[in-house]
Amino acid sequence: MSIDDTTASAITTTTTDDDSTANQEKIATTPSSKPRITWSDSYTKAQTAIESLSAILPYIPPSLAASETPAFSLLHDAEIAAQISRLLRQNDSGSGDNNLCRWLYDTFQSSEPDLHLVVLKFLPIIAGVYLSRVALHKPLAGFEAVLLALYAHETTTRNGQPITVSVPDLSHSSIYHETKQTAKNTSVELNIAVISPSLEPHGTVRSTRRARIIGVALELYYSKISQMPINSKIDFCEFCQIWAGEDGDVYKDGSNSSGGSEEENSPTVKRGKEGRICLPWDLLQPILRILGHCLMGNHKDKELYEAACGACRSLYARSVHDINPNAILATGSLLNLVKMNSKVEDDFDHTEIVHTNTITL
Amino acid sequence: MSEGESEDLGQLENDPSVRQVCANGICMKTTVVEAKLDEGNIQEAESALREGLSLNFEEARALLGRLEYQRGNVEGALRVFDGIDLQAAIQRMQPLAEKQPSKRGRSRSDSIHAVSQHAAGLVLEAVYLKAKSLQKLGRVTEAAQECKSVLDAVEKIFYQGIADVLVDNKLQETVSHAVELLPELWKQAGNFNEAMYSYRRALLSQWNLENDCCARIQKAFAVFLLYCGVEAGPPSLAVQIDGSYVPRNNLEEAILLLMILMRKFYLGKIKWDPSVIEHLTFALSLCSQTSVLAKQLEEVMPGVMHRIQRWKALALCYSGTGLRITALNLLRKSLHRHEDPDDIMALLLAAKLCSEDMFLAAEGAKYAERAIANCHDQSEHLKGVSLRMLGLCLGKQAKVSSSDFERSRLQSEALKTLDSALVFEKENPDLIFELGVHYAEHRNLNAAVRYAKQYIDATGGSVVKGWRLLALVLSAQRRYAEAAVVTDAALDETSRWDQGPLLRMKAKLKISQSLHTEAIETYRYLLALVQAQKKSYGPLRVEAEVEDDKVNEHEVWHGLANLYSSLSHWSDAEVCLEKARAMKEYSAGTYHAEGIMLQRRGEYREALSSFSNALLMEPNYVPCKILMGELLCKMGPSMSPTARTLLSDALRIEPTNRMAWFHLGMVHKNDGRIIDAADCFQAASMLEESDPIESFSSVL
Repeated sequence: MSIDDTTASAITTTTTDDDSTANQEKIATTPSSKPRITWSDSYTKAQTAIESLSAILPYIPPSLAASETPAFSLLHDAEIAAQISRLLRQNDSGSGDNNLCRWLYDTFQSSEPDLHLVVLKFLPIIAGVYLSRVALHKPLAGFEAVLLALYAHETTTRNGQPITVSVPDLSHSSIYHETKQTAKNTSVELNIAVISPSLEPHGTVRSTRRARIIGVALELYYSKISQMPINSKIDFCEFCQIWAGEDGDVYKDGSNSSGGSEEENSPTVKRGKEGRICLPWDLLQPILRILGHCLMGNHKDKELYEAACGACRSLYARSVHDINPNAILATGSLLNLVKMNSKVEDDFDHTEIVHTNTITL
Repeated sequence: MSEGESEDLGQLENDPSVRQVCANGICMKTTVVEAKLDEGNIQEAESALREGLSLNFEEARALLGRLEYQRGNVEGALRVFDGIDLQAAIQRMQPLAEKQPSKRGRSRSDSIHAVSQHAAGLVLEAVYLKAKSLQKLGRVTEAAQECKSVLDAVEKIFYQGIADVLVDNKLQETVSHAVELLPELWKQAGNFNEAMYSYRRALLSQWNLENDCCARIQKAFAVFLLYCGVEAGPPSLAVQIDGSYVPRNNLEEAILLLMILMRKFYLGKIKWDPSVIEHLTFALSLCSQTSVLAKQLEEVMPGVMHRIQRWKALALCYSGTGLRITALNLLRKSLHRHEDPDDIMALLLAAKLCSEDMFLAAEGAKYAERAIANCHDQSEHLKGVSLRMLGLCLGKQAKVSSSDFERSRLQSEALKTLDSALVFEKENPDLIFELGVHYAEHRNLNAAVRYAKQYIDATGGSVVKGWRLLALVLSAQRRYAEAAVVTDAALDETSRWDQGPLLRMKAKLKISQSLHTEAIETYRYLLALVQAQKKSYGPLRVEAEVEDDKVNEHEVWHGLANLYSSLSHWSDAEVCLEKARAMKEYSAGTYHAEGIMLQRRGEYREALSSFSNALLMEPNYVPCKILMGELLCKMGPSMSPTARTLLSDALRIEPTNRMAWFHLGMVHKNDGRIIDAADCFQAASMLEESDPIESFSSVL
């Protein structure tokens, strides 16, 4: 029994890790004040954020201003989200003097984990609009400031260290091995895969590091993805389709069918290739991780699932266009999983007891 | 009574569709009980059962609950179960188990075990069904708590475990069900931490699960770890055994579990589930560990995956890790006319692999042509890509063609194909870049500048090779100042560590502009960068990235040595050569630089031996062939046939090398073949106007 208890405490300590680092940051920023965050502190910060937002948005729902958990309401309020995303998508958004970008930046810099989530929620739109506009020579300093703030946050939390995965090798015994003997060949080196290289600090967005900066911001988004509202994820999936710039509908309903007749029923595809961007691995890898969550994660949202399927098909088409083996494998496997999901209709419940007509004691 | 009973029994045995309950060797039909339940009269139904089957209160309730549950009346079942104090029943069983002194006789303890197992089984099944009922009513958190109490109870009651042979089937069934259900319930309740904990509890404790059940849990856990988006954190120290592999994060744990499942498949312990390999593919390709994936695919038993599918997947894996020939061999198998010769993805991948190697380019062109022929219906959108691959293969093929005629035919064909690909793929920056390089190599510099600029625009300047191409083409047009501006702009957009190739180019530009001191400065800066990189790169940088950005320190010393020799700073040049030799003792590049220095000092014999040493190291090293030809040409008519051979050979390898044309012209002139000489000089002078500071293919 003691085994299980320690596991539980291990889990809880890891989940509170984020908070404690946030605390440390807070201590670092305000050395003179007491290093304690009170409930009212985060409450005031969120209230301040809402107040300054009211100067930017035309309308703030009264329920939000009166909310007892302002940060939570800010994260989940549909009206606010709609207004902000409309503003972000406007043609002149993202310049250096844009109020909304400034608000996003300030809100993120408040070092309040709940407010971080609010900013992260809009990352799909920020990254999406920003990446699609880079080639158009427009002023985008506002977006860049927000993205750099996210990047800097991740750099400090990670201490610039890379994220690695040591790929298991079954010749090593492991905790899940049935025979619990120690292997003799402990000297065998494990394959170490770098899934996110070490981070250098960046003060500006240099064009050659752009993909990396946004990729790291997306990694941050992914680490909080279970707390993100569904709409944010749907936005993300829609931008994936735009970025891919390929029509994935040919891969709908199994790759063998030559469905040419069902072209007219999808309005999302007719966007053309306007927003197509370069998808280096730095960017594509976090995109695929997020997409994996949207497709196979533990949710039952039909709309998100459909959006993720669409994104996945487009990205598969794109990977084939680029003849990028890694991307073909990753997106192809997701597509196959979607196909398998749709085939399994009789969801047999293995945890159901056997129904017999003879019930014995 | 007994007569009626047996009659009843016989009738029931004949008709299995009638629902009945059996206990203590007696069976009875449930119609009466069900009717009472339908009236909402639980107590009467209960007493009917107790009388009919001589049961105690709890047994009757448990049976009733199960009956209601089976009838699909989960609310009713819940009402029945609520009537029993299940927790108290569990409590009562614990001391019973604890009183068992282990030193007692085996037979005695066995029988007690059997009794307690039966009683426990009954109660635990009731709790389990309560959890299932709550789940069906959507009260998942309560359900999870009930389900958890089943497992807690098992651990408390049978804290010493039960010997394999003695396990009661029904108890085992309930336990297995509860183990499997608990994490699902926590997931449905949205409590991911509890879900993680119960998955680990299921897999790391001994529940005596059967293979299928265990595999299902392992797969569900792996899927959860891969996609749930919440980090699980490492397992507790208590389960970690010295020297065994402990996953530190979700990805590692998921991969481990999926690999274990793969092994169970090929050991025949469980049935093949195609989704496992797909999840594993996703996980491993995310970490770019396709070589590990290839190993997994190779271990799959024959007959499970279709061979073509497996070849293609393996080819993708191997080409992802750079094992071009292995990948190509697999594709050749899958594209065989008896297999799947028209598969467009395989054709395109094969063409791409071939386009990277000039000796395979002709084969690649055939694949690309087949791909173009098969671009219909679903694959129509790949027409542009197929054309692009054809263009690339033809361009590469031109480099090994045996005759000038063949070469120019292939080159113009390549350009034409790439141009037609652009019609389909207007938005594809890669294609624009390739067109730029091809035009540059074809010495159509204006077009090359246009495409290079277009590429920088399309990528937002995010790719260094775009800047480099533009600077090179400008340098070929002798617009050195502009090329320097482009290089500086590119340096601004690049972080320090990635500036190597740009700095090298900058140095060469300075030399072309005769700004020698600045060139030396730039080289020094470059050297400092390269050496700093050497120190700071731990083993954990992505390998491909290192190869891309890193400038070879060796080459930098060569460049600097040549610069010093051109300034007649002999001792400095010597020092540079010394440094280069210290890194790599025998190299064509070092001999080349040494030869240049000796030649400038007028030590022709020594220079000649340096050049020939370089050629011994690398028989196709063009710059040395030319310099040697030049030296031999100056040594008088007896040497001129050798010089001519060397220079012609250099031109065979690099047809656009103006120095080779120039010196070949000199040879012809010395031998008195004036018309040939004039042709060569003309070629040299034409090429001089379009000579870049580094070869165009260096940006690829």
